[in-house]
Amino acid sequence: MICPTCKHHMFVVEYQKIELDYCGNCQGVWFDVGELELMLGSVGIGETKSVLDSLLQSPPAPTNEKKRKCPICRRTMKKANIGGTDHVIIDTCSREDGVWFDGGEVDHLVKFLSGKSPEKSGTAKVFSFIKEVFQAK
Amino acid sequence: MWEQIRSNRLRSILLVAVMGAFLIALGWLLGYSIAANGIAGVVIALAVYGLLNLVAYFQGDSILLSVAGARKIKREDHPRLYNVVEEMKIASGLEKMPDVYIIDDPALNAFATGRDINHASVAITSGLLQKLNRDELQGVIAHEIGHVKNRDVLLMAMCSVLLGTIVIISYYGSRIMMFGGTSGGSRRSSRSGGGGGGAAIVMVVALLLMILAPIFAQLIYLAISRRREYLADASSALYTRYPEGLASALEKLASSSVPVKNANQATAPMYIVNPFKSRGLKMNELTSTHPPIQERIRILRTMAGNVSPAAYDQAFRQVKGAKSGIISPQAAPLVGAVGIRAASADTTPLEPSEEKITRAREVSDLMYKLDDYRVIDCNCGTRLKIPPALRGKTIRCPHCGRSYQA
Repeated sequence: MICPTCKHHMFVVEYQKIELDYCGNCQGVWFDVGELELMLGSVGIGETKSVLDSLLQSPPAPTNEKKRKCPICRRTMKKANIGGTDHVIIDTCSREDGVWFDGGEVDHLVKFLSGKSPEKSGTAKVFSFIKEVFQAK
Repeated sequence: MWEQIRSNRLRSILLVAVMGAFLIALGWLLGYSIAANGIAGVVIALAVYGLLNLVAYFQGDSILLSVAGARKIKREDHPRLYNVVEEMKIASGLEKMPDVYIIDDPALNAFATGRDINHASVAITSGLLQKLNRDELQGVIAHEIGHVKNRDVLLMAMCSVLLGTIVIISYYGSRIMMFGGTSGGSRRSSRSGGGGGGAAIVMVVALLLMILAPIFAQLIYLAISRRREYLADASSALYTRYPEGLASALEKLASSSVPVKNANQATAPMYIVNPFKSRGLKMNELTSTHPPIQERIRILRTMAGNVSPAAYDQAFRQVKGAKSGIISPQAAPLVGAVGIRAASADTTPLEPSEEKITRAREVSDLMYKLDDYRVIDCNCGTRLKIPPALRGKTIRCPHCGRSYQA
């Protein structure tokens, strides 16, 4: 898979049997919808669609960040701010192929989450999983 | 099912003849208008036609498989799939093991192709392989083997290649017409009066092709009728002795809305379910090449206690409320009553997520292997899968920070 940000080749990181695509150059992470489904299923959340929808329907973030194309379907992805005032911007494919986190965003996300108590919701599970995988960053 | 086989052969011949007549007429028209020699045009058209049919007959299956992006696998690549195909080969009484192909696509679909029962292939998408448990996979593979056994595959392969050619000709024809109509044509006709006549004929022919291509598509839709799908479902029930397997697989297929990447107008009728379905768009059931999935599921679930073609026929009549069945009464008594078997041991109504994940890794690891990825098992338990493009580069494990030479 080619990184949607820096166009380098990405490699696959398998952690607890869940695969993530990771760009060694810009540290961006692609979470594919199929893997998202498996990961949420393993923690007892069967409704992947509602998690994706909640990501998609979060208000579009006013940001100067460059628009990115989905690495699967090549359509422009939608930006969403999931960190409130902390401005964690993620890109979501409108065809629901998956979610893209820029390299910096993962760091942001980890910081943003570390100040909070663990939540039960699906989206929170997604973020804490990513935080767990990319410990070495 | 001999009657069905004979009718398939007849339709194949009819299709080839209609195509021939069409091409020869076209050749005469082009020859006459360009070189004022209709006979030369007919000769060229005959040569093209002969070549096309030879290609469709001998290479049709490999063309279709490569257009679909299918890759052949061996037993050790995916033993579960290979074993299921082998089981169904034995259950159906096929003499030769069909080739097994995988299409790297998250969409859920499958198809069979080939020249005859000894040169057959079954292909399944990686998405479907990942989603189905053993009984469901068996149901789908048995449906595809049913197509092979009922001699549907040659007709489908011939149709797809011949139609594909027409689609390509009409595509380029419309291009020629567009360019001829705007820049080239007008310039030529303003300089010399003679060239304009030829260009006009080409334009008319291109227009004709463009109009005829969808009609040919419709012809295929009629040839590969829904009846064939019902018959393959009946075969599947008989071979697996477990109609619920296919019914539950069809249910999974129906709930997915991911369209198949490499499917087109010409190849659509081969697939087990329509590959073009998209979100929020209800397929027009009148023009669809496939019977409605819900109906197929209902028929399979109505077959109580018996999996013979006669039982399928009865269930078909019951669900459709129709007087005439799908299987001819002469063929039905050949197979007596066959009881339904119990579900496989590893099939539980509620699948644990563990099993789903294991199946997903099985399939994705196979796809990575076919793509020549290298695997690094990091000491921290993370597994890194490196594409060939990154070979020789230093890879840092993002979980623990160790570096590796890929």
